[in-house]
Amino acid sequence: MKLTRRAFNLGMAATAMGAAVARPASAEAVTIVVNGSGGSLAEAIKKFFEDPFTEATGIKVRATAPVSLPKLKAMVESGNVEWDLTELTGDDVVTAEENGWLEKLDYSIIDPKGELPAIAKEPSAIVRASYSTVLAFRTDRFPEGKQPKSWADFWDVENFPGPRSLQNDPKANLEFALLADGVPLDKLYPLDVDRAFKKLDEIKEHIPVWWTNGAQHVQLLVDGEVNMTSCWNGRITPLKNENKPVDITFNGGALMLSYLGIPKGAKHPKEAMEFIRFRMDPKASAEFVKLVPYPGFVPGMMDYLDPAFAATLPTAPDNAAVQYRFDSAWWAENLAELTTRWNEWMLL
Amino acid sequence: MRRNWAITALLLGPAALLAALFFVYPIFGVLKLSVHDGTSYTLAPLQQLYQSRLAVVVLQRTFVLALSVTALCLLVGYPAAYFMAGLKPRTRAFVTYLILLPFWISILIRTYTWVVLLGREGLVNKALLALGLVERPIQILYTGLAVHIGMVQVLLPIVILTCLASMLDIEKDLVRAARTLGASPAKAFWKVFFPLSASGAATGGIICFILSLGFYVTPALLGGRSSAIIANLIDVQVRQTLNWGFAAVLATALFAATLVSLGLFWLATRRRPEFAGLGASR
Repeated sequence: MKLTRRAFNLGMAATAMGAAVARPASAEAVTIVVNGSGGSLAEAIKKFFEDPFTEATGIKVRATAPVSLPKLKAMVESGNVEWDLTELTGDDVVTAEENGWLEKLDYSIIDPKGELPAIAKEPSAIVRASYSTVLAFRTDRFPEGKQPKSWADFWDVENFPGPRSLQNDPKANLEFALLADGVPLDKLYPLDVDRAFKKLDEIKEHIPVWWTNGAQHVQLLVDGEVNMTSCWNGRITPLKNENKPVDITFNGGALMLSYLGIPKGAKHPKEAMEFIRFRMDPKASAEFVKLVPYPGFVPGMMDYLDPAFAATLPTAPDNAAVQYRFDSAWWAENLAELTTRWNEWMLL
Repeated sequence: MRRNWAITALLLGPAALLAALFFVYPIFGVLKLSVHDGTSYTLAPLQQLYQSRLAVVVLQRTFVLALSVTALCLLVGYPAAYFMAGLKPRTRAFVTYLILLPFWISILIRTYTWVVLLGREGLVNKALLALGLVERPIQILYTGLAVHIGMVQVLLPIVILTCLASMLDIEKDLVRAARTLGASPAKAFWKVFFPLSASGAATGGIICFILSLGFYVTPALLGGRSSAIIANLIDVQVRQTLNWGFAAVLATALFAATLVSLGLFWLATRRRPEFAGLGASR
């Protein structure tokens, strides 16, 4: 008994000492933790923004993944905030702002000259990128002239046979179902949820697998596991550059915004905001977009891009015209209920 | 006596402390979360479990899957262990080593390997096509079959080794005695060897069953829409719907179901002498 208690006390003492040593030695070696979506995207961010930022300011950047609203909630509520900056989806921002999980942004630091368009600026989040969830398909399974061009084609299993995939998430899928059912782009919201689920019933059995992350839909398409899938446009560009037989259509795509925000109680909010400003550099942003075609609203970036390339971006006028603007506010309001319904529909 | 107590504390203390800190304490946290929403006590999550057809169906599915995986593991594992029990010790050591080999590779990697093998353009489908057995690739990946294959592969070594351990304890002379007394080889096996090895098989089975109940990665990666089991549903509640109360209730239900299974196993075996080695009352 005595022995165990002594050992226990010793152990506790050692733990306390360990904790003391682990604390940052001085303020000059600040490391900010930036949470993102990982993968090839994280590599590009490191190359174009994080490493140059460390070089310019001495502030180190540690990248983590994946983007997760529940994790943000857990951090803020437990008071143990690991991230200094995190990526957020549009509806994440709405929910996080409502619940007070984000710090207010100081735009006098981020955008001192006031050049950013209003669409990019929320009180506690800033648009980092725009991207599209679109229809991707295998060009070897659907040769020229017989390629799916719309969500109606995606639903047409007679003329466009083979297994398909969609994301295991109600977001955007309900819109795709309604588009397939003939609802026009500008009449989607508020969504007719019952009609969407009814349409989804038709395609349910033709979908062997529902993807859950960006790497997975790439794998499904490249391995030939499915003939077509919904996907994030930026993940397909590198595949096309490697001459993989894949292509996308922007028709009926969901144009979405991705944000950056600082968790409430973050340890280095000021440094995080300096990093945001650094990411608004037009030249570096242009280089980044060439690799990962997710353009934000960085002023002056388009001046550094080849017009032919700019036309392939999700925000290019021709592409934007055939897509719908994903309504984050509508989704934030209905998400809890629809996620429950979606899971019942999915798992039963 | 005092000294014994001190030694016991010394031997079990570290393990008990670890278990208390990192297992028992968090479990109480989960239990509390299932009846407490952060500000006050509530029965809402419990009500949700009671009313949710989804939870009932998925729980049922979890048990059916665990049972069928356990049955498969025993069906494959018991004969394999029987074969190993008959080997010379050195050969047996080598075969045991082969069976333990997969433990060196993480379950995630082993599961992904099945994705490669079972896919539409994977080795299995290519072989089937080349042999002319099928005309077009068949869907194996993302079905219940793939989940079974993946889980049996992970759990089989545990079943084989527990079966083997009990088989090696069996006095070989007993089977020989049965033979000299006129029993056929089959009869000697069923009347003498099988009852004596049943405890090991049952132990292997129950371990396999309980581990199956908690599987997450394999159904998530190899299964389709209808392969999701309770751990996958808990994941959905934690990460998507943010309904941690319901997640806690589901986890508690799984925990309770596991305890009940263990209890039933104990009740079923405690009066049978062949299970004496399991610590059940003689």
